[in-house]
Amino acid sequence: MLLPTALACAQGNGPGTRGARAAGLGNASVTLTDVWAIGNNVAGLGQVTSPTVGFYAENRYLSRALNTAVLAAALPIGPATDGKATRGVVGFEAQRFGDKLYSEQRLGAGYGYRGSLISVGARFDVLQVSIEGLGSKRAVAVSLGGQAEVLPKKLYFGAYLYNLNQAKLAEYQNERVPTVLKAGLSFRPTGKVMLNAETEKDVDQAADFKAGIEYQVIDALAVRGGFSTLSRQTTGGVGLQAGQFRFDYAAAWHTALGLSQHLAIGVQLNRAAK
Amino acid sequence: MKRTFLSLAALTLLLAARPAQAQEYVRPPADLDRLVQELFAEIQSDQVPYEDLYETLLLYYQTPLNLNTATREELRALLLLSETQITALLDHRAAQGNLISLYELQSVDGFDLRTIYRVSPFVAVQSNLGNAARGPLWQRIAQEDNNALFVRYERVLQDRQGYAAPDTTSTGKPASRYLGSPDKLLVRYRVSHQRDFSLGITAEKDAGEPLTWSPGTRRYGADFYSGHFVLQERGKLKTLALGDYQLQFGQGLLLSSGLQVGKGAETITTIRRSSLGVRPYSSVLESTFFRGAAATFNLTSTLRASAFVSRKRVDANVQTSADSLAEFDEFSSGLLITGFHRTATELANRQALRETIGGGNLTYTSRSSNFSAGLTAVDTHFDKPLQRQPELYNAFEFRGRHNLAIGVNYSYVIRNIILFGETARSSGGGIGTVNGLLASLATNVDVSVLYRNYARDFHTFYGNALSENTRNINEKGLYVGLKVRPVSRWEVSAYYDQFSFPWLKFQAGTPTEGHDWLVRVAFSPSKTSLLYAQIRTRVKEYDVAAPGRNLPLTAPTQRRSLLLFYDTSPTLILSLRTRLQGTHYREDDGPQRSGYVLAQDASVKIGRVLQLSGRYALFDTDDFDTRQYVFEQDVLYAFSVPALSGQGTRAYAIAEVKCSKHLTLWLRYAETHYRHQNTVGSGLEELQGPRRSEVKVQARYKF
Repeated sequence: MLLPTALACAQGNGPGTRGARAAGLGNASVTLTDVWAIGNNVAGLGQVTSPTVGFYAENRYLSRALNTAVLAAALPIGPATDGKATRGVVGFEAQRFGDKLYSEQRLGAGYGYRGSLISVGARFDVLQVSIEGLGSKRAVAVSLGGQAEVLPKKLYFGAYLYNLNQAKLAEYQNERVPTVLKAGLSFRPTGKVMLNAETEKDVDQAADFKAGIEYQVIDALAVRGGFSTLSRQTTGGVGLQAGQFRFDYAAAWHTALGLSQHLAIGVQLNRAAK
Repeated sequence: MKRTFLSLAALTLLLAARPAQAQEYVRPPADLDRLVQELFAEIQSDQVPYEDLYETLLLYYQTPLNLNTATREELRALLLLSETQITALLDHRAAQGNLISLYELQSVDGFDLRTIYRVSPFVAVQSNLGNAARGPLWQRIAQEDNNALFVRYERVLQDRQGYAAPDTTSTGKPASRYLGSPDKLLVRYRVSHQRDFSLGITAEKDAGEPLTWSPGTRRYGADFYSGHFVLQERGKLKTLALGDYQLQFGQGLLLSSGLQVGKGAETITTIRRSSLGVRPYSSVLESTFFRGAAATFNLTSTLRASAFVSRKRVDANVQTSADSLAEFDEFSSGLLITGFHRTATELANRQALRETIGGGNLTYTSRSSNFSAGLTAVDTHFDKPLQRQPELYNAFEFRGRHNLAIGVNYSYVIRNIILFGETARSSGGGIGTVNGLLASLATNVDVSVLYRNYARDFHTFYGNALSENTRNINEKGLYVGLKVRPVSRWEVSAYYDQFSFPWLKFQAGTPTEGHDWLVRVAFSPSKTSLLYAQIRTRVKEYDVAAPGRNLPLTAPTQRRSLLLFYDTSPTLILSLRTRLQGTHYREDDGPQRSGYVLAQDASVKIGRVLQLSGRYALFDTDDFDTRQYVFEQDVLYAFSVPALSGQGTRAYAIAEVKCSKHLTLWLRYAETHYRHQNTVGSGLEELQGPRRSEVKVQARYKF
């Protein structure tokens, strides 16, 4: 029953993709620090300096049954100094994947904190999988993340462990929510260029190797490209910054299954004084 | 760059602000786990006694080496200094007198900050105060800080086959079962002072071994006991050891124990052995030590003589039994070294052979300590003749009761090159030789070369010179190592080792050959972080199935491993470590199989009392051949490298609690959770269910 989804996203109810920026980078996103860090690596939340709300929609292989919609919010606690919220950031997320026949719902809450060169974060998820005619199952997953600046402002490291408690969805065939560990490096030689490389491992799947590049053409425009070896996709995307708004779009191409599209919109509720 | 400058500035400031009385550098805690990561490139087997090795390293590194009294040989044994640096330090000491503080290392040629940070946990600058000035011996022992009792307990929580009720096999015979409880116990007391004395007692019971009082079978409670008393630096008498001790002379061709790292990512310093002579033994490996007495005398200022005698019972398969439980691999044929006495068969082999060894060493060291040469003799006698399995690969193995081995060794420093070697002959005519050189071509380029040739009939029982085999027999090889620091913070190290086995081996029915190479690129962005990538490839020939052929056929087997490692301590309280490890394994033209592990560690220090560390790792291997060994943190003095194969997760948590000034507790829980498996392990170790969990508790009481 879960096979088509597993094939399609390579990890049913796994950590998944969050935000079109990550999608454009081949999902090599473990070092990113925007509002979508809530799902990509919760440690990255610690660098969100003003309250932000984001909406993300994804359509896979032009099939309506494989739509994902996510609403996320990040709220810094305490004043922001030095590019970080002094008391950390809390994040919330609501996600829905699928259609009437098969769907996954997720409610997540996370917290990220940045120290001097290191960030840590934790998150809790309530997951629900519903299959029409078979009812639904619920599970709770706990995840942890960490990020570090290996070389200040140049080399970044991130690691994210999703579902460390190996939550069980069903007794049948011992079906569990995937436990996924990912770790990666991001090299940012100048403020304009970012190169990401990452490995991701789901206990039950082969290892995935992902890489992405982002180039900030002008302040308002970024272009991206990437690939992922396990889901065999090549990705590309653009990002636009317009005042408090941020628009990201990404397209991913799979040789056999075709095109997937990702769109994200973010709004900073009050811009932090620089 | 900026950070180095800052730390340099800080050091210089401290140096400038030093009051008249020398201010002692606060010795940073030794990160032994990280050191082990740097020294052992890749653990590829659980046959090698890493536990013992690790423990000896630990003990060695735990008493800081006094830079004011350390000899050239002792400095080399640290494995962290190049020959040029050692020479520079000795010259500095000769010219300027004793070092006043560790800060002074900065003014020694060739000591960069990285080296200083690396060695600082393991060395100290102490005034050279005579032992007698500290009071009589009993008082010195009583007042020694380094005085501790360890108690350790561990067990696997699940029920295993070996502990089940006895059953009968299909042939009607009772099935083999462990005779003891699944608890592992260790009690150890030790007190020691560098260059003065060492006193220690150890008792151990492995899981499955019974606690029995049975003088008839030489079992007195615990399965293994060890004890020693060692005195050092008593005038002409340099060392006197009573009880259990270990010996290290020359290149370890005849006598070697403890400090061998072998081929690893430290490609230069680790290929040479240091002649450290007689040292105390307090580990729990039930072989590779001597029991009796040993002494070293300084005959003149340049001539040193050692003599030793040892008599103990060793485990052996004296009668070739039909029981197939005994393992006949290349490591344990005849003599059994596992130290396990859990089943009736293992108990029958326990202490089956009495081994008497006598010997000595005479070493000349020139006044400048640039040249040294030595003569070693080891005479081994067994009370019953050793028998081997009548296999062709055992044709040249030792058999009989008596073996005399005599060897010469040398070491010579010319400018920035050190030449060293040892050649020995054993009864029966077999010759073994190992010769090498280490050279510092420039301040940032080091090379090493080592040639070895151990005849197929060369027999030593306590030799452990560098080799691909686990013993020094039936092997020829040439090792070349390189270490380059092209720019500061970067280090590239590499080795290439080619070897051949002129006679057959276990699982190799023809003479075989192979090679092994490694490249590691390490980058240390700051003094507290390290990033490296390493690739290692080993090609070795093994038997392959050849249906329809009467002659054996061997084919090359390739194992290629990739390792990415990142270690950082961004703050004083937190450290993080990530390790990605993968292996490709291929037999001849067969399918390529692979293994993968991704592990994330974190360690937090909470106040002065508590330190918490943990790991979460995911592994996925195609089969047992691609199994992964990942080094794990453990309670102090214990070592853990589980073999991970199949699919699943491995997690552990360890807490170190300083209850008081005297008492420290360690608690460790580890669990491997396998996917798609209903049983774990095989044979007597088999357990039901997908999990295997271990608990370990250790207490240290410092008097």
